[in-house]
Amino acid sequence: MDELLTWFKEKDPEHNVSIPRDVDLIETRLIDSLNFLEFVILLERVSGKSVDLSSLNVDDFRTLERIETGFLSV
Amino acid sequence: MATFPQPGLPALDPAETAILSLLDDQFQRIGATLGAVPVTGPALLPQDDLTKLDYFRNFPHLALAAAGFSVEGVRDLADGKPVDAASADLRPTGNYLPSATCYGLFLTLRGVALTDPQRLTAVGLCFRNESHYEGLRRLRGFRMREVLYVGSQEGATAHLDAAVDLVHSLTAAIGVKITLEAASDPFYLGDGARPLLARLDPVKHEFLISDGTAIGSVNKHRNFFGERLDIRFDGNAAYSSCLAFGLERWAHALVREHGTAEHALAALRAARE
Repeated sequence: MDELLTWFKEKDPEHNVSIPRDVDLIETRLIDSLNFLEFVILLERVSGKSVDLSSLNVDDFRTLERIETGFLSV
Repeated sequence: MATFPQPGLPALDPAETAILSLLDDQFQRIGATLGAVPVTGPALLPQDDLTKLDYFRNFPHLALAAAGFSVEGVRDLADGKPVDAASADLRPTGNYLPSATCYGLFLTLRGVALTDPQRLTAVGLCFRNESHYEGLRRLRGFRMREVLYVGSQEGATAHLDAAVDLVHSLTAAIGVKITLEAASDPFYLGDGARPLLARLDPVKHEFLISDGTAIGSVNKHRNFFGERLDIRFDGNAAYSSCLAFGLERWAHALVREHGTAEHALAALRAARE
Protein backbone atom coordinates (compact mmCIF):
# COMPACT_ATOMS: atom_id res chain seq x y z
CA MET A 1 0.00 0.00 0.00
CA ASP A 2 2.88 2.40 0.78
CA GLU A 3 4.08 2.15 -2.80
CA LEU A 4 0.65 3.08 -4.10
CA LEU A 5 0.43 6.04 -1.72
CA THR A 6 3.83 7.25 -2.91
CA TRP A 7 2.60 7.04 -6.50
CA PHE A 8 -0.46 9.16 -5.66
CA LYS A 9 1.70 11.72 -3.87
CA GLU A 10 4.01 11.99 -6.88
CA LYS A 11 1.01 12.54 -9.15
CA ASP A 12 -0.40 15.26 -6.97
CA PRO A 13 2.39 16.96 -5.02
CA GLU A 14 0.16 19.96 -4.36
CA HIS A 15 -2.06 17.90 -2.09
CA ASN A 16 0.60 16.20 -0.08
CA VAL A 17 -1.88 15.06 2.51
CA SER A 18 -3.10 11.62 3.35
CA ILE A 19 -5.90 10.27 1.14
CA PRO A 20 -8.93 9.11 3.11
CA ARG A 21 -9.54 5.39 2.56
CA ASP A 22 -13.07 5.95 1.28
CA VAL A 23 -12.40 8.86 -1.09
CA ASP A 24 -13.41 8.24 -4.73
CA LEU A 25 -10.05 8.20 -6.53
CA ILE A 26 -11.65 8.46 -9.96
CA GLU A 27 -14.12 11.27 -9.26
CA THR A 28 -11.34 13.27 -7.57
CA ARG A 29 -9.12 12.50 -10.61
CA LEU A 30 -6.26 11.08 -8.50
CA ILE A 31 -6.66 8.31 -11.07
CA ASP A 32 -7.50 9.79 -14.47
CA SER A 33 -7.60 8.63 -18.07
CA LEU A 34 -3.93 9.54 -18.59
CA ASN A 35 -2.49 7.61 -15.68
CA PHE A 36 -5.04 4.81 -15.34
CA LEU A 37 -3.06 2.17 -17.19
CA GLU A 38 0.13 3.14 -15.37
CA PHE A 39 -1.75 2.63 -12.12
CA VAL A 40 -3.05 -0.78 -13.22
CA ILE A 41 0.50 -1.88 -14.11
CA LEU A 42 1.81 -0.65 -10.76
CA LEU A 43 -1.01 -2.46 -8.99
CA GLU A 44 -0.21 -5.70 -10.82
CA ARG A 45 3.42 -5.44 -9.74
CA VAL A 46 2.66 -4.56 -6.12
CA SER A 47 -0.09 -7.16 -5.68
CA GLY A 48 1.47 -9.90 -7.79
CA LYS A 49 -1.98 -10.42 -9.32
CA SER A 50 -2.74 -9.91 -12.99
CA VAL A 51 -5.55 -7.54 -13.92
CA ASP A 52 -7.73 -8.60 -16.84
CA LEU A 53 -8.48 -5.40 -18.73
CA SER A 54 -11.38 -6.97 -20.64
CA SER A 55 -13.33 -7.85 -17.51
CA LEU A 56 -12.25 -4.92 -15.41
CA ASN A 57 -14.78 -3.27 -13.08
CA VAL A 58 -13.94 0.34 -12.45
CA ASP A 59 -15.52 0.20 -8.99
CA ASP A 60 -12.69 -2.11 -7.88
CA PHE A 61 -10.35 0.91 -8.17
CA ARG A 62 -12.58 3.59 -6.72
CA THR A 63 -11.20 3.77 -3.19
CA LEU A 64 -8.08 2.72 -1.30
CA GLU A 65 -10.38 0.49 0.73
CA ARG A 66 -11.61 -1.37 -2.36
CA ILE A 67 -8.09 -1.66 -3.77
CA GLU A 68 -6.82 -3.11 -0.51
CA THR A 69 -9.66 -5.63 -0.27
CA GLY A 70 -9.54 -6.62 -3.92
CA PHE A 71 -5.83 -6.69 -4.61
CA LEU A 72 -3.68 -6.39 -1.53
CA SER A 73 -5.31 -8.72 0.96
CA VAL A 74 -3.85 -12.17 1.19
CA MET B 1 -34.85 23.51 -47.25
CA ALA B 2 -31.38 24.56 -46.19
CA THR B 3 -28.97 25.53 -48.94
CA PHE B 4 -25.29 24.70 -48.64
CA PRO B 5 -22.82 27.23 -50.08
CA GLN B 6 -20.22 24.71 -48.86
CA PRO B 7 -20.68 21.24 -47.37
CA GLY B 8 -21.18 21.55 -43.63
CA LEU B 9 -22.15 25.22 -43.84
CA PRO B 10 -25.91 25.50 -44.28
CA ALA B 11 -28.01 28.62 -44.80
CA LEU B 12 -31.41 27.98 -43.23
CA ASP B 13 -34.77 28.94 -44.73
CA PRO B 14 -37.48 30.82 -42.79
CA ALA B 15 -39.22 27.67 -41.48
CA GLU B 16 -35.92 26.14 -40.31
CA THR B 17 -34.92 29.46 -38.75
CA ALA B 18 -38.22 29.55 -36.86
CA ILE B 19 -37.60 25.96 -35.70
CA LEU B 20 -34.17 26.90 -34.35
CA SER B 21 -35.59 29.90 -32.55
CA LEU B 22 -38.46 27.95 -30.94
CA LEU B 23 -36.11 25.11 -30.01
CA ASP B 24 -33.76 27.55 -28.31
CA ASP B 25 -36.74 29.00 -26.40
CA GLN B 26 -37.32 25.49 -25.05
CA PHE B 27 -33.62 25.04 -24.21
CA GLN B 28 -33.57 28.38 -22.40
CA ARG B 29 -36.60 27.27 -20.45
CA ILE B 30 -34.70 24.15 -19.39
CA GLY B 31 -31.74 26.38 -18.47
CA ALA B 32 -34.00 28.56 -16.32
CA THR B 33 -35.50 25.48 -14.62
CA LEU B 34 -31.95 24.35 -13.81
CA GLY B 35 -31.34 27.79 -12.29
CA ALA B 36 -28.93 29.02 -14.98
CA VAL B 37 -28.26 32.70 -15.69
CA PRO B 38 -28.05 33.61 -19.42
CA VAL B 39 -24.63 34.93 -20.46
CA THR B 40 -22.67 35.36 -23.69
CA GLY B 41 -19.31 33.71 -24.29
CA PRO B 42 -16.38 35.06 -26.33
CA ALA B 43 -16.41 34.56 -30.12
CA LEU B 44 -12.88 33.07 -30.20
CA LEU B 45 -10.81 31.15 -27.66
CA PRO B 46 -7.15 31.91 -26.84
CA GLN B 47 -4.65 29.20 -27.79
CA ASP B 48 -2.89 29.40 -24.40
CA ASP B 49 -6.09 28.71 -22.52
CA LEU B 50 -7.02 25.80 -24.80
CA THR B 51 -3.53 24.36 -24.29
CA LYS B 52 -4.04 24.52 -20.53
CA LEU B 53 -7.29 22.59 -21.00
CA ASP B 54 -5.59 19.78 -23.01
CA TYR B 55 -7.72 20.78 -26.01
CA PHE B 56 -5.03 20.16 -28.60
CA ARG B 57 -4.13 16.84 -27.05
CA ASN B 58 -7.72 15.61 -26.84
CA PHE B 59 -9.29 17.16 -29.96
CA PRO B 60 -6.49 18.04 -32.42
CA HIS B 61 -8.68 16.93 -35.33
CA LEU B 62 -11.44 19.46 -34.54
CA ALA B 63 -9.24 22.56 -34.21
CA LEU B 64 -9.83 25.48 -36.57
CA ALA B 65 -7.46 28.43 -36.23
CA ALA B 66 -8.34 32.07 -36.82
CA ALA B 67 -5.68 33.69 -38.99
CA GLY B 68 -5.11 37.13 -40.54
CA PHE B 69 -2.84 38.37 -43.35
CA SER B 70 0.60 39.80 -42.65
CA VAL B 71 1.38 43.42 -43.62
CA GLU B 72 2.97 42.14 -46.86
CA GLY B 73 -0.01 39.89 -47.51
CA VAL B 74 -2.46 42.77 -47.06
CA ARG B 75 -0.41 44.94 -49.46
CA ASP B 76 -0.19 42.16 -52.07
CA LEU B 77 -3.92 41.42 -51.88
CA ALA B 78 -4.77 45.12 -52.24
CA ASP B 79 -2.54 45.15 -55.32
CA GLY B 80 -4.62 42.34 -56.80
CA LYS B 81 -2.56 39.26 -55.92
CA PRO B 82 -4.85 36.16 -55.97
CA VAL B 83 -5.81 35.11 -52.47
CA ASP B 84 -4.59 31.54 -53.10
CA ALA B 85 -1.12 32.90 -53.75
CA ALA B 86 -1.25 35.03 -50.59
CA SER B 87 -2.19 32.18 -48.26
CA ALA B 88 1.47 31.79 -47.24
CA ASP B 89 1.10 35.26 -45.71
CA LEU B 90 -1.57 34.11 -43.27
CA ARG B 91 -0.44 34.61 -39.70
CA PRO B 92 -2.00 32.97 -36.61
CA THR B 93 -3.88 35.32 -34.31
CA GLY B 94 -3.37 33.00 -31.33
CA ASN B 95 -7.10 32.31 -31.29
CA TYR B 96 -9.25 29.35 -32.28
CA LEU B 97 -12.88 29.02 -33.26
CA PRO B 98 -14.77 27.43 -30.37
CA SER B 99 -15.78 23.79 -30.79
CA ALA B 100 -18.06 23.96 -27.75
CA THR B 101 -19.78 26.78 -25.89
CA CYS B 102 -18.71 25.92 -22.35
CA TYR B 103 -14.97 26.64 -22.80
CA GLY B 104 -15.62 30.38 -23.08
CA LEU B 105 -17.85 30.30 -20.02
CA PHE B 106 -15.21 28.55 -17.94
CA LEU B 107 -12.67 31.25 -18.83
CA THR B 108 -14.89 33.84 -17.12
CA LEU B 109 -14.53 31.91 -13.85
CA ARG B 110 -10.74 31.51 -13.89
CA GLY B 111 -9.12 32.08 -10.50
CA VAL B 112 -12.47 32.61 -8.78
CA ALA B 113 -13.22 31.19 -5.34
CA LEU B 114 -16.94 30.50 -5.53
CA THR B 115 -19.05 30.78 -2.42
CA ASP B 116 -22.16 29.59 -4.24
CA PRO B 117 -22.43 27.19 -7.19
CA GLN B 118 -22.54 28.91 -10.58
CA ARG B 119 -25.11 27.94 -13.19
CA LEU B 120 -24.67 29.61 -16.57
CA THR B 121 -26.29 29.15 -19.95
CA ALA B 122 -25.23 30.48 -23.35
CA VAL B 123 -25.74 29.74 -27.02
CA GLY B 124 -22.80 30.16 -29.35
CA LEU B 125 -21.57 29.43 -32.84
CA CYS B 126 -19.27 26.43 -32.75
CA PHE B 127 -16.98 25.04 -35.42
CA ARG B 128 -15.53 21.61 -36.03
CA ASN B 129 -13.11 20.43 -38.62
CA GLU B 130 -14.78 17.10 -39.46
CA SER B 131 -13.67 14.45 -41.95
CA HIS B 132 -17.02 14.66 -43.76
CA TYR B 133 -20.22 16.67 -43.61
CA GLU B 134 -23.79 15.48 -43.93
CA GLY B 135 -27.04 17.52 -44.14
CA LEU B 136 -27.78 19.21 -40.81
CA ARG B 137 -26.35 16.19 -38.97
CA ARG B 138 -22.65 16.92 -39.30
CA LEU B 139 -21.59 20.53 -39.79
CA ARG B 140 -18.50 22.67 -39.93
CA GLY B 141 -20.35 25.53 -38.22
CA PHE B 142 -23.39 25.20 -35.96
CA ARG B 143 -25.08 26.56 -32.85
CA MET B 144 -24.68 24.98 -29.45
CA ARG B 145 -26.52 25.90 -26.28
CA GLU B 146 -25.05 24.71 -23.03
CA VAL B 147 -26.24 24.78 -19.44
CA LEU B 148 -23.19 24.68 -17.20
CA TYR B 149 -22.89 23.95 -13.50
CA VAL B 150 -19.77 24.74 -11.46
CA GLY B 151 -19.66 23.96 -7.74
CA SER B 152 -19.73 20.82 -5.62
CA GLN B 153 -19.26 17.20 -6.67
CA GLU B 154 -22.82 16.33 -5.59
CA GLY B 155 -24.22 19.42 -7.29
CA ALA B 156 -22.55 18.52 -10.59
CA THR B 157 -24.19 15.08 -10.50
CA ALA B 158 -27.60 16.47 -9.49
CA HIS B 159 -27.39 19.01 -12.34
CA LEU B 160 -27.07 16.23 -14.91
CA ASP B 161 -29.76 14.06 -13.32
CA ALA B 162 -32.22 16.96 -13.51
CA ALA B 163 -31.04 17.83 -17.04
CA VAL B 164 -31.72 14.30 -18.32
CA ASP B 165 -35.28 14.38 -16.93
CA LEU B 166 -35.97 17.78 -18.51
CA VAL B 167 -34.66 16.68 -21.92
CA HIS B 168 -36.85 13.58 -21.84
CA SER B 169 -39.90 15.72 -21.01
CA LEU B 170 -39.09 18.06 -23.90
CA THR B 171 -38.60 15.29 -26.47
CA ALA B 172 -41.86 13.66 -25.36
CA ALA B 173 -43.67 17.00 -25.79
CA ILE B 174 -42.33 17.66 -29.30
CA GLY B 175 -42.51 14.09 -30.56
CA VAL B 176 -38.84 13.10 -30.88
CA LYS B 177 -37.77 9.66 -29.72
CA ILE B 178 -34.36 9.51 -28.02
CA THR B 179 -32.14 7.12 -26.15
CA LEU B 180 -29.37 8.09 -23.75
CA GLU B 181 -26.11 6.25 -24.38
CA ALA B 182 -22.44 6.48 -23.43
CA ALA B 183 -20.57 8.45 -26.08
CA SER B 184 -18.93 6.41 -28.80
CA ASP B 185 -16.89 9.08 -30.59
CA PRO B 186 -14.29 7.06 -32.53
CA PHE B 187 -11.43 9.44 -31.78
CA TYR B 188 -12.36 9.91 -28.17
CA LEU B 189 -12.68 6.18 -27.64
CA GLY B 190 -10.00 4.92 -30.01
CA ASP B 191 -7.54 2.20 -29.12
CA GLY B 192 -4.85 2.79 -26.57
CA ALA B 193 -4.52 3.45 -22.88
CA ARG B 194 -6.07 6.87 -22.68
CA PRO B 195 -9.66 5.92 -23.60
CA LEU B 196 -9.73 2.88 -21.33
CA LEU B 197 -11.04 4.66 -18.25
CA ALA B 198 -13.52 6.64 -20.38
CA ARG B 199 -14.89 3.33 -21.62
CA LEU B 200 -15.09 1.86 -18.12
CA ASP B 201 -16.54 4.96 -16.50
CA PRO B 202 -18.06 7.20 -19.22
CA VAL B 203 -18.05 10.93 -18.59
CA LYS B 204 -20.11 11.75 -21.67
CA HIS B 205 -23.59 10.46 -22.49
CA GLU B 206 -25.40 11.41 -25.66
CA PHE B 207 -29.06 11.76 -26.58
CA LEU B 208 -29.38 9.74 -29.79
CA ILE B 209 -32.23 9.61 -32.30
CA SER B 210 -32.96 6.47 -34.33
CA ASP B 211 -30.61 7.38 -37.21
CA GLY B 212 -27.71 7.56 -34.73
CA THR B 213 -27.44 11.37 -34.63
CA ALA B 214 -26.40 12.70 -31.21
CA ILE B 215 -28.61 15.77 -30.72
CA GLY B 216 -27.34 16.60 -27.25
CA SER B 217 -25.19 15.37 -24.42
CA VAL B 218 -24.63 15.45 -20.70
CA ASN B 219 -20.99 15.69 -19.62
CA LYS B 220 -19.31 15.36 -16.27
CA HIS B 221 -15.93 17.03 -16.05
CA ARG B 222 -15.18 15.94 -12.51
CA ASN B 223 -12.81 18.64 -11.11
CA PHE B 224 -10.76 18.99 -14.32
CA PHE B 225 -11.73 22.57 -15.23
CA GLY B 226 -11.69 23.60 -11.58
CA GLU B 227 -8.13 22.37 -11.23
CA ARG B 228 -6.78 23.68 -14.54
CA LEU B 229 -8.39 27.12 -14.25
CA ASP B 230 -8.05 27.44 -10.46
CA ILE B 231 -11.80 27.70 -9.89
CA ARG B 232 -12.37 26.86 -6.23
CA PHE B 233 -15.50 25.86 -4.40
CA ASP B 234 -15.57 25.22 -0.68
CA GLY B 235 -11.77 25.35 -0.58
CA ASN B 236 -11.22 22.68 -3.26
CA ALA B 237 -11.04 22.58 -7.04
CA ALA B 238 -14.64 23.04 -8.22
CA TYR B 239 -16.54 20.22 -9.92
CA SER B 240 -18.49 20.90 -13.06
CA SER B 241 -20.91 19.36 -15.52
CA CYS B 242 -22.87 20.53 -18.52
CA LEU B 243 -25.88 19.85 -20.68
CA ALA B 244 -25.36 20.61 -24.39
CA PHE B 245 -27.79 20.96 -27.30
CA GLY B 246 -26.77 21.01 -30.98
CA LEU B 247 -29.50 23.24 -32.42
CA GLU B 248 -29.27 22.22 -36.09
CA ARG B 249 -29.23 18.55 -35.09
CA TRP B 250 -32.42 19.04 -33.11
CA ALA B 251 -33.96 20.66 -36.20
CA HIS B 252 -32.81 17.64 -38.24
CA ALA B 253 -34.43 15.30 -35.68
CA LEU B 254 -37.72 17.21 -35.66
CA VAL B 255 -38.03 17.40 -39.45
CA ARG B 256 -37.11 13.72 -39.75
CA GLU B 257 -39.77 12.81 -37.21
CA HIS B 258 -42.55 15.06 -38.57
CA GLY B 259 -41.84 14.83 -42.29
CA THR B 260 -41.58 18.53 -43.17
CA ALA B 261 -40.25 21.69 -41.56
CA GLU B 262 -43.82 23.06 -41.47
CA HIS B 263 -45.12 20.06 -39.53
CA ALA B 264 -42.10 20.22 -37.22
CA LEU B 265 -42.85 23.89 -36.59
CA ALA B 266 -46.47 23.07 -35.80
CA ALA B 267 -45.34 20.44 -33.26
CA LEU B 268 -43.03 22.96 -31.60
CA ARG B 269 -45.77 25.60 -31.46
CA ALA B 270 -48.19 23.08 -29.95
CA ALA B 271 -45.62 22.17 -27.29
CA ARG B 272 -45.19 25.84 -26.40
CA GLU B 273 -48.89 26.33 -25.57
